[in-house]
Amino acid sequence: MAIQGTDVRKVVVACEAGMGSSVLLVTQLRDRLKGTEVVVQHSPVSQIPADADVIVCHRGLEATARGVAPGKVVVAFSMFLGDPAFDRVVEAIREGKALEG
Amino acid sequence: MAALLPREGIRLGLKAADRFDAVRQSGQVLVEIGAVEAPYVDAMLERERQISTSLGEGFAIPHGTDASRGWIRETMLSFLQFPEGVAWDDGEVIVCVGIAAVGDEHVGVLASLARILTVPEQAARLRAAERPEDVLSLLGSNEETKR
Repeated sequence: MAIQGTDVRKVVVACEAGMGSSVLLVTQLRDRLKGTEVVVQHSPVSQIPADADVIVCHRGLEATARGVAPGKVVVAFSMFLGDPAFDRVVEAIREGKALEG
Repeated sequence: MAALLPREGIRLGLKAADRFDAVRQSGQVLVEIGAVEAPYVDAMLERERQISTSLGEGFAIPHGTDASRGWIRETMLSFLQFPEGVAWDDGEVIVCVGIAAVGDEHVGVLASLARILTVPEQAARLRAAERPEDVLSLLGSNEETKR
């Protein structure tokens, strides 16, 4: 799947329970996307909202996320701090590039 | 923040036998401060086995599973410091922030933690906290502005 950065309206950070890591990562992504119109929110992976354009989740949840949200771009990360996956999302949105995942 | 992270939920200078002992202790403190019922601790251990809650910078955020929310009485956090470090799957953890959340009341404190972790000197100060007041002031000073 792929989406143009300019078409991204909502990024959903999903984790299993939606109470821990996704909450932290939402803050970091929001800070990095400040000044754009993109909405960043967190969610349990089982309840990814239908209007999500991009889903960001841990690699261990990637298959579940793809099952819950078929046809959406899913960007998986391995490290909570400094994973290049976050750079990829921010860069695509800020520079209007294609984001694959 | 006192309701969310009460002073008795902050335990400094602890020791843990291993990663799961540290998670169990983080859960036990949540039980002691009235945040959760005992079965939540088992769910925290289960969650830890699925995917590590280690974040890097010596911090981990053990918490339960989606299915274990029923054991949460109140959204609260615990803060446990293991100065000697606990071996985790991907490095060493000094601080466990135990999480029990049914709503979004804890988002401000976690946002603050998220920001602290992106500044290595701030993360080091939080790891080295010597008094509960240090923890509260560091975590309280960086909260997300209301939006």
